[in-house]
Order: sequence, then C-alpha cells, then structure tokens
Amino acid sequence: MMFLTLIRQELLTHLMSARFFAAVIITLLLVVANTFVLIGAHEERLADYSQKEAVNRETVAATPAYSVLKLKVQRPPNPLSLFSAGLETRFGSDIDIAFNSVPALSDPIAEGKSDEEYQWTFNRVPSLSNPGAPLGLKNPYLHLFSQIDLVFTFQVVLSLLSLLFAYDAIAGDWETGTLRLVLSHPVGRGSVLLAKYIAAMVCLLLPILMSLLLALIQCSFARSVQFGTDDFLRIGGIVLTTIVYLSVFYLIGLLISTTTRRAATSLMLCMFLWVVLVLVYPNWSRFALNPVGDMRAEKLSANQQIAQIREEADRERDRFLTSSPLKGDPPIFFDTFAGTDFFKGGGWYLGDFPRVNIQIDLKNTADPLVTHLRRYYEFAATLQIQNAEKVSLVGEQLVAQISRRQAQWDERLMKLSPASLYTFATAAWAGTDLDSMTDYIRAAQTYRRTLIDAFHERDAFASLQWFSTNQGTVDWSILPDFRFERADVSINAQRALPELLLLVFINLVLFMITFLVFIKIEV
Amino acid sequence: MRHIVRRELLDHLTSLRFALTTLILVALMVTNAIVHLQTHRERVQKYSEQVNASQTELKSRTQLYELLQKGPGKLYKRPSLLAFVADGGDAFLPSETTSGGSWNLEGFASIWAMGVPRLNMKALSNLRPTAVVIDWVFIITYLLSFIPLLFTFDALSGERERGTLRLCLANSISRPALLVGKFLGALITVLIAFYFAVLFNLAIISTESWAQLGGADWGRVGLIVLIASCYAGIFIAVGLTVSAITRESRLSLVVLLLIWVTAVVFMPSTLGILSTKWMPSVQTHHQFRMAKGTAFDQILSDFLNKRETLKERHQSAGTSQEEVAEVDTSALEIQRAFVNKDMETRERLSRQHLAAQSAQVLRARQITRCSPAAIVQYALESMAGTGFNRHLQFLEHCHLHIRQFRDFIVEMDRADPESLHFIGIPKGMSEKLVSPEAIPMFEDKLTFQDTLNSAIMDILLLILLLGIFLSGAFLVFLRSEI
Repeated sequence: MMFLTLIRQELLTHLMSARFFAAVIITLLLVVANTFVLIGAHEERLADYSQKEAVNRETVAATPAYSVLKLKVQRPPNPLSLFSAGLETRFGSDIDIAFNSVPALSDPIAEGKSDEEYQWTFNRVPSLSNPGAPLGLKNPYLHLFSQIDLVFTFQVVLSLLSLLFAYDAIAGDWETGTLRLVLSHPVGRGSVLLAKYIAAMVCLLLPILMSLLLALIQCSFARSVQFGTDDFLRIGGIVLTTIVYLSVFYLIGLLISTTTRRAATSLMLCMFLWVVLVLVYPNWSRFALNPVGDMRAEKLSANQQIAQIREEADRERDRFLTSSPLKGDPPIFFDTFAGTDFFKGGGWYLGDFPRVNIQIDLKNTADPLVTHLRRYYEFAATLQIQNAEKVSLVGEQLVAQISRRQAQWDERLMKLSPASLYTFATAAWAGTDLDSMTDYIRAAQTYRRTLIDAFHERDAFASLQWFSTNQGTVDWSILPDFRFERADVSINAQRALPELLLLVFINLVLFMITFLVFIKIEV
Repeated sequence: MRHIVRRELLDHLTSLRFALTTLILVALMVTNAIVHLQTHRERVQKYSEQVNASQTELKSRTQLYELLQKGPGKLYKRPSLLAFVADGGDAFLPSETTSGGSWNLEGFASIWAMGVPRLNMKALSNLRPTAVVIDWVFIITYLLSFIPLLFTFDALSGERERGTLRLCLANSISRPALLVGKFLGALITVLIAFYFAVLFNLAIISTESWAQLGGADWGRVGLIVLIASCYAGIFIAVGLTVSAITRESRLSLVVLLLIWVTAVVFMPSTLGILSTKWMPSVQTHHQFRMAKGTAFDQILSDFLNKRETLKERHQSAGTSQEEVAEVDTSALEIQRAFVNKDMETRERLSRQHLAAQSAQVLRARQITRCSPAAIVQYALESMAGTGFNRHLQFLEHCHLHIRQFRDFIVEMDRADPESLHFIGIPKGMSEKLVSPEAIPMFEDKLTFQDTLNSAIMDILLLILLLGIFLSGAFLVFLRSEI
C-alpha cells in the first residue's frame, strides 16, 4: 500500500512539473520536424530508386548481345531507416552483376585508384563489384548537413531527460529531509528506490510513445512510407530497446545521486557524464582509434595472388588457342566506327581475350571459323567465371580482414558507451546494420549464380548471340527477377539481442550497486 | 564590481565543474592535435605529388593544339594547414577538377572543357560507423555552448533560492554591476579552461616542422579563438537570461538544456534540409547528363547540316582556285565553330548545374544561421580554409586560371604569322613548339583576405547576437523581482 502511494506521489511530482512539460513539448517538436525531413529524404531515395530501375531496364532492353549485358541490381530503400539510418543511407545501393566479377561488400583491391584510371584501363579484369553511390538526395551537396534519425532524437533528448529526473532523486530528498521522513514510515529502502525507478520510467515512456505515435501518423499521411506487420514488430523492438537504454541513464543518475548526496554535485557529475557518454566518446573512439591499422602488406599480397590467378588464366587461354585455328591474331570484332551504328560489323569483343583480326562473315553460320569462335567464347566465358570466383575468394578474405574487421572493431570500441550500444541495437532491429548489408551482398551473389545458370540452360555462352547482333536481338525475358527481401524479424531480433542483453545487464548491475549503496547510507 | 568578478572567479575556479571542463577540453584538444599530425602529412604529400605529376605532364606537351585539346591538366585544391580547426567535410568535397567529357569524330576531336567536379562519395559510403570529426568546430560548438550553461543556470535563480541575491543587492551593489560581474566571472572561467586546452593543442602541433603555422595562420588562429570566445559569451548571456526569468534553478536548467539541444544539436542539420523542401528543386545528375546529351546532338546536327550545304557548294563550285580556297576556309571555320560551341556549351551547362546546387546549399545555410552553432561552424570553416565556402573559392580560382590558360593559347597563336588562327582544330593552329616555362601553371592559394572576406558576415552576426542576448539579460534582470 505504502509502495503504491510512493509511486503515485513520485509520478505526480514528475508529471506536474514544468520541466517535464517543457521536455515533452520539445521532444515532440523535434520528432515532428525530423520525421518530416526524414520522410522527404525517403521519398527522394524512392524516386531515385525507381528512376535508376527504369534506366537499368532500358539499358538491358537495348542490349543487343549476351556478352555486353550490363546488369545492375538495386536494394529498395528501407522505410525503417526513418528510425535508424545506420548504414542504409550511406551504403551503396546498386551492384553490377557481371560474369567476370563477384559482388562484395567493398573493394579493397581497387582502393586508392581514381575512377578515371579505372575506366580507361582496358586490360583489367574486374575483380570485385562493390556497391556504387548510395541512393540519394537530388542535390548531393546536401550531404554536408548530417541527417538525424528518430533514434538519435531519443538517444540525445530523452537520455538527458532521464538524468534530469534522476540527479536529485535521492540527493534532493536527502538535502530537503524528505528522505528521512519517508523512511520513518514502515517502508523498506528497496521499495523507495523501486518506487522512484518505476515512476520515472513511466514518465519517460510517455514522451516515447507520444512521439512514436506522432511519427507513425505522419508516416501514414505520406503514402511513400509503408510499414508491414513485420515492421511494426521491429518498431516494437526499437521501443523496447529505447526503454532499456533510458533506464540505464536513469540508473546512472540514481547511482550518482545516491553516492554524492548533494544535488549540485550530482547534477554536475551527471551532466559531464552525459556529455562524455553520448556526445564525446562515440565520436572520439571512431576518430582517434584505428584498431586495424595499416593493411598495406595484406593488400599487396592479395594483389600478388590475384596477378597469379590471372597469369594462370592467360596460360590456359593460350593452351586453348594453340589447338584452335584462331591462334595467332587476336580476335577482335572491332568495326569501323561509323556514326552511331556500333554494331554494324556484327560483333563485339570480350574483355581481355585475344582479338582476331580476320574478316568473318557472321551471317554465314556454316563458316567453320564461326563454329570455332563460338567454341572459343564458350571457353572464354567459363574461364572468366571461374577466374572471377577465384579472385573473389581472395577478395572476400581481404574484405573480411580489412573493411569488415575495421567496421566491427569500430563498433566494439564504440559500444563501450551505452549510447552506441543503443544505436547499434536499433540499427539491427531496423535492418540497417552491417549484417543486413552483408545479406544484400549475399543476395546479389546468389542472383549472379542463378543468372549464370539461366545462361547455361539456354546455352547462351556458346550461342552466336553471345557476341553477334545480326541474329536478332536477345530475348531478355530469360533474366531472373531480383528482389531483395529484408531478413526476417526473428533474425533482426537475434542480431539485436547481444546489445539488448548487454544493456539489460548494465541495468541490473547499476540497480544492484545503487541498492547496495542506498541501504548503507545514513539518512 | 571588480570585487564581484573576483569572488565569482574564485568560486568557479575551485568548483568541480571547472575541473571537469578543463579535463574534457584538454583531452579532446590533445586528441585533435595528435590525429592531425598523424593524418594530415599524408594529405599534404599526396597533394604535392599530384601537383607535380600534373605539371610535368603539362610541360611535356609542346604543341599548341595539344594544350588546347587536353586542357590545363588536373587542378588540385591545396589542403589547408588549419584543417584541424575545421574539417568542413573536405574528404567529401571534390579536391580536384575534372574534364567535362570528350569525343572523337572523323578525324577531329573535342577540346577540353571543365566538367562538374566529382564528389568523393567513398568518404560517405564506407562501412565504418558514422561519427563526427573531433575538430575545433566540434569542441567549440558543442562544448563551449554546453559548459557555459552549466556555469550560469543557477547564477541568479540559485542565489535567489538561497536568498543570497537579496543579501547582495541590499549592499551597495547595483544590479547591472552584479550582472556584469556574473557574466565576466563565468566567461573568464570558461575561457581559461578553453585557452589552456588550445595552448596544449597548438603546442603539440608546433612540434612537427611541416605543420608549423605561418604568420597569417597565427592571425587566423587568433581570430578563431576570438570567435569562440564570443560564442561562449552568447551562451553565458542566454544562461543568465533564463536564470533571471525562472524561479527555480532546476527549471532553469531544463529550459537551458532544451534550448541547447534544439539550437546546437538539431537546428544546424535539420533546419538545413528542412528549408530545401520549399526551394525549387535542382537538376539531378541524370537530368544534367540528358541535357548535355541533347545540347550536343543539337550542335552536332547543326554542324552536319552546315557541312552538307558546304559540300554542295563545293561540288557546284567551279575549278577556280579562289573558290576552292574559300570553300576550304569556310570548312575550317564551321569546324572551328562546332568545336568551340561544343566546348562552351558543355562548360556552361556544368557551371549552371553546379551553380544551382551551390545556390541551394548556400540558401539552406542562410536559414541554419538561426542557430549560433551553425554561424560559428561556417565562420570557422571559412577562417580555416576548409568547407563549402573554400570549395566555391577554389572553383572560382580554377575558372580564372582556365581563362588565363586559354588567353595564353590565343596569344601564342596570334604571335605566329604562319598560323591560320582557327583556334580549336589542329590544321588551323600554330605548329610552333611551346616552351614549357611559358605555360601558365595553376597554384592554389588562399590569402588571409579571402578567408576573412567569407567569414566577416558570420563574425558580425555573432557579435550582434552577443549584444542582443546581453541586453536581453540586462532587461530581464533589471525588471525581475528578487
């Protein structure tokens, strides 16, 4: 009974206070303004996405021969990036699907080479295709303004608020003498602490739920943002994480309040701790620490391995050519450049392979040279596919060693602050974390395999249409559809679980310590 | 009054908050200096290597036409020595010019035109988690606004609660004197901690010889420190105002923190993007490329038509040598017109595209200037020679240089009597060798004047804000009940 009275009294003092009112109003204002901005950005990304899709479709439809297919797949924008942007708005969206390169998270092999160097190096076998530019704002210079997601709003504003609830919870009562008064009643110290905790958490729940509701209302007005049932479960996960996170800050405040016993000192400690944990440490650790260090040696050795793979492929090709009547002159269907009609000569050459400078009448399919060419290209394409997979093995290892490891170490170090734990947990819920991006790459890799299988099925590599255009255009309906499905909610939950459990653990530890300190203090 | 300042100072300097402030500021400043020394050297070296490579390549071109066709080479932005003060998103902004595409058509080729410099998207889209760079801008805008609030939130409301304020004013101390004393006391305390940290930072940076600052740079650093002090002053004035209005120091703190979160954390970014919603939308990159394509097709078809008519004239023309010569000259003339028109169109379209984008960013930045944090950020970026303003200046320098470069080619051609003076096609230009020393070279420079000019508006705005908030504090305090 006494316990309930305590909770009610605490609740009333919080809810009736002007500071609570001001904080709720500001939180709601910030959430509304930011949701508006975020919905706008999401719409721009969607527009960019559909425009790029259209361009991709056009390119494919206009492609005259199998070998020159330039296929790109894209990841549709994730509406949950409103809540937690994570990597979603920064990580590239389109990936080249090519026979001679395998999709990868990043391309550490090509790093340091400028784009132009790239375009003009003709005898380069592309090794890894990594995502291009992220879907973006119409005006890319607007990236200079950092975008703020809803989770960031909670992370900053509400954690500050929970510290403000906590800093004088014990110290203030101690100073004014109310603590002594309360404890003179038949009520345990534990229940006093618990009552304060429960009341504060209920008060904090209010702005969270209100702003969530407002954000969802705004989203429902904007047609572009549509959430499925699964998405609501994910949002539920985000809310849960938010509560656990705020509870950490409340307990930190409570602990400081219990140990210092002076409201002014407690306040200063709370504020500086907040600055360090939320503002300074996450940025500082990412800025100052580079745990992976210099990886130039690894890159060099990977490059050597790749060079070896290429040499081997060259040798194999030469072996094939010695037994073929095509030997000697390199095959090239380089036609006389006549205005826009690129394909007049009826052929196209393939990458790095020898070029034949012989006049072949491609129309005459009975020409023995044509048969040889078909066999040659079948061989060449298979070799390139194998080659790309070998290179990709080396590349993947390098990606794991450099890009992934770096990102993971950055995360681990940042997670020393509960604020970052919260950021990464919510990104995992929203499906905007590193693992989800890896899922996307996996999907692209699988798609590449099915595409190659589809080509094999149609015997495309050995067909005349592989390199020639005078057999009519290719029927591109054979292309399998690509659609990236975000991971299941249960997988999102699994990924968010470690951080969430860690936050819960911190909560328990903090509560235990606070309790132990509190039962020992003199009133 | 001196007495009040001294008392306040002593009070503050021995407090916990002063110790914590100094600790955080020094730690951040030291980190900033160390990371700057580790990373900046590579940037400077890369810049000088790139410039050297570009200039050697340029000097190897001896034909006048080749110079015109291949252009002045790549022009690079010089990394600022004061990059540790303001990062300004320099890793993301373009650091070099690009050519605006090229083509080859039946024996003659396009001439060089400046294109749209590429943004370095890789700086944005890498897998590492996002974080703000810890430069002086971060330290100043976030901490030099937060800490003043902690020093002032209870300056008046706290004393009022305890009753010391009444006691104080009962003595022969006037209200303005008390307020000025509080203001100066808090300002000096915050600045002592800040200057101490700055000294640490500059001392570490000066240990390396390559990073040592020149005379003008020290002038800039001085101004930057003054801007920072002014900014801290604004927040102290705000703190005093709110503290004078509110009865309770707890309420005063909450109000101040909410103001701080809104003005410092959210406004500089949210307001910027929010404001672009009501601006006319700019051309996307795709649209720009389409526009360029259509423009080129237009010019090309014009040229082909002209050539057809010329061919007809050629056939109908008799065998008289004069007429043939005339037809030949006009053939050269339409080729020249075509090549130059193409170059001009490409350059014009790129410039328009860029100008529209920049105008939008500049307007958005105007609006974010509601927040003093944004003003300080822009002022510091301009003073340090990084960021968006610097980017625009760099482009301006490039345009000037390109004009100079083209004038040089025309001059050289005019000096050769054997040349036909058709600038833009190989047959019509002087074939004399160009001495490598005579070719104008681009050197990116940034004078003190440039930096100050772009920052002066922001500095004045800051001083104005300081005045407004100080007088606001006076007004509120003089009329408030004790």
